[in-house]
Amino acid sequence: MDVSSEEGDSEIPHVIDMTTSEKVVDLLNQAVLTPTDEKLTGLKQVQELILNKDPSLLDNFLDEMIAFQTDKSIEVRKYVIGFIEEACKRDNELLLRLIANLNMLLKDESVNVVKKAILTLTQLYKVTLQWLVRSKAVSERQEACWDLVTQMKGDVLALLDSENDGVRTHAIKFTESLIITLSPRTSDSDVPKRQEGDISLDKVPKDHSYIRYDVLCEEGKNALERLLKFMVHPAITSINLTTALGSLATIARQRPMFMSEVVQAYEMLHANLPPTLAKSQVSSVRKNLKLHLVAVLKHPCSLEFQGQIGTLLLDLGMPQSEITRSTPAPREQRKRPRHEQYKEGKKVKMEPALMEDDEDKEEPAPLSVPKPAAVPVVQSAIDLTAEFLHPLLNPENVANLVLISMVYLPDVMPASFQATYTPVESAGTDAQIKHLARLMATQMTAAGIGPGLEQCKAREDEAGKDEGNDDDAAGKDLLIKRKNPAAMMGQAISVVGGYQEKVTSPEAPVTVKRLPEPILPTAQTKLPGASGRKKVFRLSDVVQPLSDAQIEMLTSRAVKRILNSEKAITQSGMSHVRVKLLSRLVTQFEGMMKEDVLGFILDDIRTRSDLAFSLLYQEYNTYLSQLPTGLLDSYDHCLYTLLSGLQEKPEQRDGLFTKLVLEAPLITESALEVIRRYCEDESRVYLGMTTLKELIVKRPSRQFQYLHVLLDLSSHEKEKVRTTALAFLKRMYEKDQLRDYIEKFALNYMQLLVHPNPPSLLFGADKDTEVAAPWTEETVRQCLFLYLSLLPLNHRLVHELASVYTEAIADIKRSVLRAIEQPIRGMGMNSPELLLLVENCPKGAETLVTRCLHILTDKVPPSPELVERVRDLYHKRVPDVRFLIPVINGLEKNEVIQALPKLIKLNPIVVKEVFNRLLGTQHSEGSSSVSPLTPGDLLIALHNIDSTKCDMKSIIKATNLCFGEKNVYTSEVLAVVMQQLMEQSPLPMLLMRTVIQSLTMYPRLGGFVMNILSRLIVKQVWKYPKVWEGFVKCCQRTKPQSFSVLLQLPPAQLTSVFERCPEMREPLLQHVHSFTPHQQAHIPNSIMSVLEANKKTEPKPVEPVVEKGMEPDPVPVPVEEEVPVEALQRPDTPVQQLPAVMKEEEEPMEQHESDPVIQEEAVDTVPEVDLTRAEATPSPQPEPAEEAMETSQPEPSDLHLPEKDAEAATPEPEAGSGSEDAE
Amino acid sequence: MPSHPLRVAVVCSSNQNRSMEAHNILSKRGFDVRSFGTGSHVKLPGPAPDKPNVYDFKTTYVQMYNDLVRKDKELYTQNGILHMLDRNKRIKSKPERFQNCKDKFDLVITCEERVYDQVLEDLNSREQETLQPVHVINVDIQDNHEEATLGAFLICELCQCIQHTDDMENEIDELLQEFEEKSNRPFLHTVCFY
Repeated sequence: MDVSSEEGDSEIPHVIDMTTSEKVVDLLNQAVLTPTDEKLTGLKQVQELILNKDPSLLDNFLDEMIAFQTDKSIEVRKYVIGFIEEACKRDNELLLRLIANLNMLLKDESVNVVKKAILTLTQLYKVTLQWLVRSKAVSERQEACWDLVTQMKGDVLALLDSENDGVRTHAIKFTESLIITLSPRTSDSDVPKRQEGDISLDKVPKDHSYIRYDVLCEEGKNALERLLKFMVHPAITSINLTTALGSLATIARQRPMFMSEVVQAYEMLHANLPPTLAKSQVSSVRKNLKLHLVAVLKHPCSLEFQGQIGTLLLDLGMPQSEITRSTPAPREQRKRPRHEQYKEGKKVKMEPALMEDDEDKEEPAPLSVPKPAAVPVVQSAIDLTAEFLHPLLNPENVANLVLISMVYLPDVMPASFQATYTPVESAGTDAQIKHLARLMATQMTAAGIGPGLEQCKAREDEAGKDEGNDDDAAGKDLLIKRKNPAAMMGQAISVVGGYQEKVTSPEAPVTVKRLPEPILPTAQTKLPGASGRKKVFRLSDVVQPLSDAQIEMLTSRAVKRILNSEKAITQSGMSHVRVKLLSRLVTQFEGMMKEDVLGFILDDIRTRSDLAFSLLYQEYNTYLSQLPTGLLDSYDHCLYTLLSGLQEKPEQRDGLFTKLVLEAPLITESALEVIRRYCEDESRVYLGMTTLKELIVKRPSRQFQYLHVLLDLSSHEKEKVRTTALAFLKRMYEKDQLRDYIEKFALNYMQLLVHPNPPSLLFGADKDTEVAAPWTEETVRQCLFLYLSLLPLNHRLVHELASVYTEAIADIKRSVLRAIEQPIRGMGMNSPELLLLVENCPKGAETLVTRCLHILTDKVPPSPELVERVRDLYHKRVPDVRFLIPVINGLEKNEVIQALPKLIKLNPIVVKEVFNRLLGTQHSEGSSSVSPLTPGDLLIALHNIDSTKCDMKSIIKATNLCFGEKNVYTSEVLAVVMQQLMEQSPLPMLLMRTVIQSLTMYPRLGGFVMNILSRLIVKQVWKYPKVWEGFVKCCQRTKPQSFSVLLQLPPAQLTSVFERCPEMREPLLQHVHSFTPHQQAHIPNSIMSVLEANKKTEPKPVEPVVEKGMEPDPVPVPVEEEVPVEALQRPDTPVQQLPAVMKEEEEPMEQHESDPVIQEEAVDTVPEVDLTRAEATPSPQPEPAEEAMETSQPEPSDLHLPEKDAEAATPEPEAGSGSEDAE
Repeated sequence: MPSHPLRVAVVCSSNQNRSMEAHNILSKRGFDVRSFGTGSHVKLPGPAPDKPNVYDFKTTYVQMYNDLVRKDKELYTQNGILHMLDRNKRIKSKPERFQNCKDKFDLVITCEERVYDQVLEDLNSREQETLQPVHVINVDIQDNHEEATLGAFLICELCQCIQHTDDMENEIDELLQEFEEKSNRPFLHTVCFY
C-alpha cells in the first residue's frame, strides 16, 4: 500500500498531494480496524479526497477501496457500491475494472446490498452505453465490459421473479429505466431535466462497431413485454403493482410510442385487479392508478386514448369536470401543458426537438419512428373484440350472461369488487354498451380468447416473418459500414480518445474475449499492520453444529429452492442437471422432502414427468443396490403416490399414466391397486385396460397377477367397466398361454352358482365364504359374465353350463335362462357342441335345452340336423311335446298334425306361439321359414282332431286363435276350409261354428255361405245334431237371405226349425206371400202348410220342391226387397253368383277360388257398386269391435295375465255364435 | 437487523397537532424523524369555525404563540392550542412544508387521506433520480388532541415494527395487514421513488 501510494506521489510531486495521499493512507488504515460507523465516515472522507479533491489518486487507491466490498457490514458493502458508481461516473475507464466487482455484489447474500447494486447498475448501464457509443473505436476489453453489463442486465431482469418483494421492486425500476434507455427519445417525449443528457436509443448510431442498434431496440421491447407480463401476474403484491403502475406512467410519458400498451395494461389491470389484494390495498392501488392515469392523460400524446382513459377515470370515481381539466385541449395540446410545466418547474422537454416542433403547427404524429405498425396492432386486439361484441349485447343476451354468471358468484364479496363497484348510471345507453363491450373485450383478451386476438396473432405472425428478413438485411449493412466506423461517429466528445486505435476486425472471434474480472480483495493483506492484528481464521471457531431440526429444516428448504428454481434453470438449459440432482437428493433422505417433491411433480406432472421418471428410477436403483435386505417401501410409495396423483387428476389425454405404468421397473401391489382403480373409472376405463393389457403382454413373469385384475373386473358392477374388460379378455383368450387361466377362472366363477347362497367373493371379499344373502339376478349374472362371453369362442364350454344348471336352484335357473340368449345365438344351431347338448340333454337340463332351442330358432328356421336331434330326443328319451315347438316348422306335416292335440292343450301363450310359428306370423322377416302346414291345413286339422284325444274347449280356443289372424285367414282361405270341411263325411262337429264365425268376419261371404247351407241340406245335415243346431242358428242369423235356403228344407226339418225358433215362421210366410203368383206356385203345399202353422196341411212331396227351389227365379226377388237401396244394381250379382254355385254341385270345388274373382269383376264392371260398397263397408263396423276383443286377448296373455282372465274374455264371442251347446 | 435507523417523515396538514405529536413521541424513541404539513398555509382554530388563524410556513411556533396570547390568551389556553404550540416550539422552530423538502426518507406516514394524496402527487411529480424507494403509509387520525395522541402511539408502534423487520420491503405488506387487523382501520400504502 505504501509502495503504491508513493509511486502515485512520485508521479504528481505536489506538496498538497503528498499530504492528501498520506491522509488517504491513514484513513484507509483506520477504516480497516474501526467499527462500522466510523469506518463509513472514514471511507466517505477517502471518497471525497480521491474523487473530488484529487482525482489523480483515484487509480492508486481504487483497489484498497474495493477491498471493502467483502466487509462484514452491509452498510460498508453498500457504501462500496455507491463508491463504484461515483468512480465510474467520474472516470468511465474504471468501468473496465469495476463492473465485475459490481457483478459480484449483485449476487451478494444480503438483499439490501443487491438492491443497492441494482440501483447502481441502473445508472451504470446508461453510463456504459454512453461511454461505448462515444468511443471512436471499441477495444476488446470494452466489448467484454459491455458483454458483462448485458449479462448483468439479464440477471436483473430475471430478478423480476425474485422471492424478495423489495428486490422485485428494484428490478421493476431497473426495467423501467432500461426500457427508456433502449428506446428512442422522440420529439413528443417528456424529458426530465436531470436526464436530458442521458443516453437513449436514438443516440446510438446504427453503424456502431460493436453495439447493434436493432438488438438494443429488441431488448428494450422485450423488457417492456416482460414488465407487462409481470404486471398481469395474478399474485403480484400491491407494492410491486404500484411500482409497475408508476413505471408504466413514466414510460408512457417519456416514450409515447408505448402509450397504447400502457393504457391497455391499465385497462386490463382495472378490469382484473389481482384477487390476492386486501381491501385497503385495492384502494391504494386504485388511487395510484388514478394518479398515473391523470399523469398520462396530461401528456399531449394521450389524445387518441382520451376516451379510454376518461372511462377508466370515471370508473375510478373521478368527476368528469376534473377529467376534463386534466385533458389537454386538442388544438393547443402541445403548448399549454408545456407552459404549465415550465411554471411549475417540473417537466421540461428536450429543447432542440421542441424548437423544431414549435414551428410546424401540425398535430404531432403521435407514435413516431421506430415501429409504427406495432401500436395499432396491439391496440386493436381489444378494439376488434369490443367491436365484435358491441352488436351482440342486446338486453336478452346481457340478461342471460348475468343469469349464467350468477352461478359463479363467490359467497363473499371480494375486496376489489367492493372497492370498485360504482352503480351503473347510464345503463342501456350506447356509450354504456360500448363501455361494457370494451370491458368484456379486455377480459377476453386477457384470457386469450376473442376474434380480435386471433386476428392480431395472425398479423403478428406475418410481421414476425417480415422482421426476420429485416434482420438479415441489417446484418449485411452492418458488415459493409463497419469498415470506417470512426467517420460515422456522431458525438465525438470522447474523454478517452487516443490510444484505442486498433479496430477489432468483425471476424475476430468473440469467444476469445474474457469477461472483466473483479478486483479481488487481496489488497487488504498488503495494508501495513493490518495483517498483524488480524485473528487467524479457524472454521471451528465460527461454526457450531446444527440441531437435527435445523438440519432438517435447512435441507428441506434447500430442496425447495431447487424445486422452485424450475423456471430459471429451464431458461439456462440445465434442467436435466436439476432433475438428476433432485432425484438423487430426495432418494437419499427420508422425511417430508419426498412428499414435497412428489407434490411438486403432481402440481404440473405434464411438464415435470422427467423428474417423476428420474425419481422413480433412482428409487428403484436404491432398492437394487441394497438388494438382499433392501425394502421396496420407498419405491412403492413413490410409484403409488405418482400413480394415484395421476389417477385422481381429472381428464388427461397424454397417456402419462400408461407411460408411467409401462416404464416403471416394477409394479408393486399397491400400484396394481391404483391401476385397478383407474380401470374402474368409467371415463378412463379403456385407457386403463389398454395399459393393463400391455402389462400382461409385456411382463410375462407376472402376467397372471395382472390378468387376475382384469378377470376380476370382468364381473364389475359398472357396465362399462365390465364390458370393456370382457372385450379385452376375449381378445386375450385367443392367446394360448393365457387361455387356460382365463377359462379356469370363468368356470370357477360359474361353479359358484351351485352354492345355495352367493359366496362373499362376489361382494368383494377375498375369502370364498358364503353369506346369508339370497341370490339375485345381479349376483347370478356376475358369475356368468365372463363365461358367457367366452362361450361363443369355445363351444365346448356349454356342457359345463348344463352340469352347473342341473345342480342350481330354481332362482338361478331362471336367471341363467335369461342370460344365455346372446351367447347361444352367437354359437348358432350348427354348433356341433350345441347339437351334442341337445342330443344328450342331461337330466334336469330340459328347460335349458328348450330355451336354447327357442333362442336358436327364434329368428331362423331350424336346420335339418337340429330337427333330427330334437325328434330323436322327443321320441326316444323325453316325450315332452314342448321340445318340438322350436323346430315345429322343420317337422313333417303328419308329425305336426299328430302333435297338434298335445300342443293345443299347453298354456295359451305357448299355443299362441306355436300357431305363430306355424302361420309364419311370428316375425316380419319370417318368410324364410316354410311351415309344413298351410293355414287352411291347420284349421282343417284342428277340426279333425279326435275329441277323445283332446277336449273340445281347447280345440275351440285353438280355432279362435286362427280366426284372430285375420291377415292369414282371409275370406278365400276360409272359403276353401269350409268347402273342404263340408266335403268330409261325417261332418266335423265344429263345422257350423266355423261357418258362422267366418260369416261374422267376412259378411260378403254371405252368398257363399248360403251355397254351403243349401249343400248341407243335400247332405242331410239334420242327422248331425250339433251341426244341425248350428245350421238353424246360422239361418236365423242370415235371414232374410237364408229364407230361400229354408224353403229348400223338407217340411219335417222346417218344422223342426220353427220349433227351435218360432219367430222365424211369420217373416218367412210373409216372404212367400210377397212372391209373384207364379213363384208361389213353386212352393209345395206341404211347405206352405208348415208355414201357415195353424192350418194342418197335407204333406207334399219334398224332392221336387227342393229341385224347383234350386231354380234361380225365387232368389233375386227377395234380394231386391231385402236391399232396396241396392235394388238397381244388385240383381245382376246374385243372379250370376248363386246359379254359378248352385247349378252344378261338383263345380264349386274347383270354382271356389273364382268366386271372389267374379265378385270383383262385378265390382269392376259396375263402378257404382264400388261406391255403394264403400258406403256399405261401415256395415262390418261391429266387426272391429269384436276384433278388438280378440286382439286384446293375446295382449294380456303376453303380459302373463293369469289364464283365467284370458278365458273369461273368450267365451263372449262363443256365446254369440251359439255353439256352446257343442261343448 | 436494520442496517441503518429508518428515516421517517410524519405528515399532516398544518404540521401542528398530529404530525408534531407523532414527531414528539418518535424522536423520544430514538427515530430519525421529521414532520411536515402539506397545506398551502398553516391553519389554527380561531374564535369561530369560520375564522381560523392562518399563517404561512415561514412563521415560527414562537411567533404564533405570541400572536395567539395577544389575541385571546384564555381561549387558546383553554382549547389547548397554546399548550400545543409550546410543545412544538421545543421540538423545532417552525412548521415545514413537505413539498419544499428535498431530503430523502425511507418511510412517510401521513395522517389523513387528503394529505396522502398530496404527498403522492408531490413525490410523483418530482423527477426520478436515484430510484430509491420510499414507502408512504396513511394512518387516518382525526384532528384533535386525544386522537392525535392515540394516533401517535399507533404510528410509533408501526415504526418500531417496521424498524425491527429483517427486510422491510419484503415484510411490510404482511406487517401492515396485521396492523390493519389489530387496529381495525385501513392503511393506504404505496411506494414512490426518488
